[in-house]
Amino acid sequence: MDRWRRPGLARGVLGGVAGFAVGALPIVAAAQLGADIKPGHGLALGYIGAQVGWLLGLGALRFWTAWALGRAADPVDQAAAHGRAGDWTRYFRFTTDHKVIGLQYLITSFVLFLTAGLLAMVLRLELAQPGRLMDGDTYNTVMSTHGIVMIVVALIAIVGGLGNYFVPLMIGARDMAFPKVNALSYWLLPPALLLIVANPLLGGFDTGWTAYPPLSQQANLGQQAFILTFITLGVSSIISAVNFLVTVARMRAPGMSLTRMPIFVWALTVTTSIVLVATSVVAAGMTMLLFDRLLGTAFFRPSAGGDPILFQHLFWFYSHPAVYVMAVPAFGAVLEVVPVFARKPLFAYRLAVLSFIGIGVLSFMVWAHHMFVSGMADYFHIPIMITTELISVPTGIVFLSALGTIWLGRIRFATPMLWVFGFLWNFVIGGITGVFLADVPTDLALSDTYFVVAHFHYTIVGGMVYGLFAGTYYWFPKITGRLMDERLGRAHFWWFTLAFNATFLPMFWLGLQGMRRRVADYPADLADVNLWTSVASSTIALSTLVFLVNAIRSWARGPKASANPWRAHTLEWQVASPPPVENFEHLPTVTAGPYEYGVSASGPVIRPGGATGH
Amino acid sequence: MATLGHAVDTAAERRMLLLGVRLFILSEVMLFGAFFTAYFVLRAQAPAWPPLPDLERPELPLVGFNTLLLLSSSVTMQWAVTRIGRGDAAGFKRGLLATLMLGTVFLAIQGYEFASNGFGISDGVFGSTFYTLTSFHGAHVLGGLLLMGVLANRARLGLVTREHHTAVEGVSYYWHFVDVVWVVLFLTVYVL
Amino acid sequence: MTARRDLAVAVAIWAVLSAIGVVVVLGTQILPVIASREAEVVNGAFVMLTVASVPILMLVVVPIAYSAIRFRASDDDETDGPPIHGHRAFEAGWVVVSLVLVIGLAAFGTIGLLEIRGGPDADLEVRAESTQWAWEFAYPDLGVRSKELVLPVDRRVRITIVSDDVLHSFYVPAFGIKQDAVPGRVTYLHVTPTVTGTYGAQCAELCGLGHTKMVAGVAVLELSEFEAWVAEQQPQQP
Repeated sequence: MDRWRRPGLARGVLGGVAGFAVGALPIVAAAQLGADIKPGHGLALGYIGAQVGWLLGLGALRFWTAWALGRAADPVDQAAAHGRAGDWTRYFRFTTDHKVIGLQYLITSFVLFLTAGLLAMVLRLELAQPGRLMDGDTYNTVMSTHGIVMIVVALIAIVGGLGNYFVPLMIGARDMAFPKVNALSYWLLPPALLLIVANPLLGGFDTGWTAYPPLSQQANLGQQAFILTFITLGVSSIISAVNFLVTVARMRAPGMSLTRMPIFVWALTVTTSIVLVATSVVAAGMTMLLFDRLLGTAFFRPSAGGDPILFQHLFWFYSHPAVYVMAVPAFGAVLEVVPVFARKPLFAYRLAVLSFIGIGVLSFMVWAHHMFVSGMADYFHIPIMITTELISVPTGIVFLSALGTIWLGRIRFATPMLWVFGFLWNFVIGGITGVFLADVPTDLALSDTYFVVAHFHYTIVGGMVYGLFAGTYYWFPKITGRLMDERLGRAHFWWFTLAFNATFLPMFWLGLQGMRRRVADYPADLADVNLWTSVASSTIALSTLVFLVNAIRSWARGPKASANPWRAHTLEWQVASPPPVENFEHLPTVTAGPYEYGVSASGPVIRPGGATGH
Repeated sequence: MATLGHAVDTAAERRMLLLGVRLFILSEVMLFGAFFTAYFVLRAQAPAWPPLPDLERPELPLVGFNTLLLLSSSVTMQWAVTRIGRGDAAGFKRGLLATLMLGTVFLAIQGYEFASNGFGISDGVFGSTFYTLTSFHGAHVLGGLLLMGVLANRARLGLVTREHHTAVEGVSYYWHFVDVVWVVLFLTVYVL
Repeated sequence: MTARRDLAVAVAIWAVLSAIGVVVVLGTQILPVIASREAEVVNGAFVMLTVASVPILMLVVVPIAYSAIRFRASDDDETDGPPIHGHRAFEAGWVVVSLVLVIGLAAFGTIGLLEIRGGPDADLEVRAESTQWAWEFAYPDLGVRSKELVLPVDRRVRITIVSDDVLHSFYVPAFGIKQDAVPGRVTYLHVTPTVTGTYGAQCAELCGLGHTKMVAGVAVLELSEFEAWVAEQQPQQP
């Protein structure tokens, strides 16, 4: 019984259910009284109530409520919220330690990745042969859910997972600027993720993750689950972004000037800046869609003066920068790993930093390339084509930096480095094919075909997921204190890479043949390639099992890892594996850049007492 | 690392908190920016504005008066901040209370205005944009009033002092932002 | 092998592979079917972009393959590589070349788009009416309606695209272009079919349950055959 009175998961669930009832009750009452109420009204208010109840029950708000009521802070409770080393239960409650939160994000992301991956298997089952296995409703809902869940993974896995864990360590801080806000940003997610995964039970939605009206105005209740999840993710992202930016701005260790900051931290700084500026716009757009569905507004309703294309502008104004929110952290992870395994300084570090900033700025000027065939004003096409082509210049610099580091290096192909090489192959294909979509003449043919599907899987899976695996294999010893099995790691890499390329490379051809995206069937002459693609994609799933087995076994009883098994120079490797709860016994002072391979033997750190690390 | 409930705000923690508030306000600017964009786009595409002859925009004098109220509340808020900066807790409380009252009257007048409008949120793009913009703004005003209520409670308990009033500064940034949004709203939706 | 030698060898490999690739691409038709003037322009754009892509692809593939073999350290080798932080000239050159390339591509793209769009004139007007989940085509000047899009070859057609419910998109792969149908507004496509034959039109914007099946036939006929078809479709005179 005590469990229900202490802040925690159990009480959180209870609070969520109670909150849902409280939120939905007025709606149910109004419906009984004959008001024009839809289930959507109940879902919306119920969800808000559920979130509030969930957070209250979890104890996520207790420090702020205490402060508001003027109660003195309870140092025992604060310490408990930070969490003690070795206490595994701290991962299942409101814990403010950024390392705990990072792992919560990382593991949640992998679970979502597997879930959405299974949904993809269902899609490929339908597409394995001409003809239909399932009805349009089911297919569209599976396809739409696969899309949005993968988008969520792509947005939170590296930033929320590896970023939360390692940014404070890499800048020599004990935690993020606002640890409680950090925990809140994570705990906002479970109700939203539950909602989106359960959306088929609400009737599903058939609009894809892009949710264009007017179709999304008419779609089933599952569409609303989508909208509420999207807005929740948005809120979580924005407060997380504020946290990252203040942390990097104000909590760097003495001596860590901006030009000595690890490239991964730079990547996340640019990423979270994009998140801060762009997310509210899509939140507004989604709110307008919600109001169109529930309050009879006319934002996107042509019969009442509304404009469906307005939604597309609002949606893509965020969603294009969002793809850089997915890609830039991966760039950062890759560029972080490559110097360590080439034993050379990061080539053109400053130019790489400038290119991240350039990508961040330009990313806001290209969104309408998703709308070349939307019926938007013709004069807009050419400026957007120019800005979109221009963004390939800073993106190319990422390659310059990676290739320049590898060239003349002393390369060791530990598993993280394999993923780096895989990234370079995949992303050059993804990037080049992006140019075909940026060029309006070719886009007129390719838009809404499988060419687009192939392009974004090459950039997001081939890019983001490869960056995530590179970072995960790289930092696994630091997080767990154990080494992963190299043979299983190599097997995972090669299997995944062959399966991934076998699956998605033919899709470029399918798009050129005119196969549309988001369809459940296709002409008979495309059957062989689709069958091949379905078979190849099923092996991707199997390869991921190899990773899971490796991760779980290694964590449980892999060989113990030293503080710095890769002999890297960044600050996280100067502390034990796993790091102590307070990160550093004494906060370090930095005396040089993080990639001085070939210049100095070890990290650029002055230890307390003045002894140098050189 | 920022910890709530510290007896004294260190300078570093204060700077971090206020930077956080400013960054958050930036995201809010983009939120309202999106709603304003929708308004401008839909209005530009409408054959006439208001699009239907029987939709009339609310009377300017009342809304103008309301605008003055909100502007005054920013003055009283800033005055309150200055007072507590000098250690004058009593003056701070008076300024805060005045701001709270002005904000509450603003919302009440707006509620009256909504009730006496001849159109609703489902009256085409006119109603949609008008009520969405004003309601989102109103919700932000309400949020600000709640924050001020919290500050008032803490002031009552003697917890707001010259050395320890970062939250007051943060709330004042937010309140001024809400005021600026209103001015823009007033000019675009009511006047132009 | 000195660093200079490595660079020279890699550049040579890059040049050879790029040359081979470019030659292969130049002889290829990339769009499977080219049945309109616009598709010709689109195919030309495809070829140009693919030609440009080959050396860029090789610019990444060759160094990583070369490095994986040439600069691989043995397992017990703990030494670091040379402390090269950058190379001003190379970096500047990379940026400049990529800028020039991009500006060139954008210029060609602009010219291509203007060529595809052409002017507002047309020999024939057709309305493509989309609804969940079927197409219907109206010929306002001829008083004809049809579930199949029938067009005369070598005549410029303006297709007015409308929708009465949700977003759809009018896409004929053989014509190389598409345009969305937006309820509440009217969108256009100009097409000049150049090869007679039968093709397919398909809806290219997710429009609900029946999106997959929302297709229509397209037939391009000689002018005389087209006129005969029109005569057949027109309501009989009383």
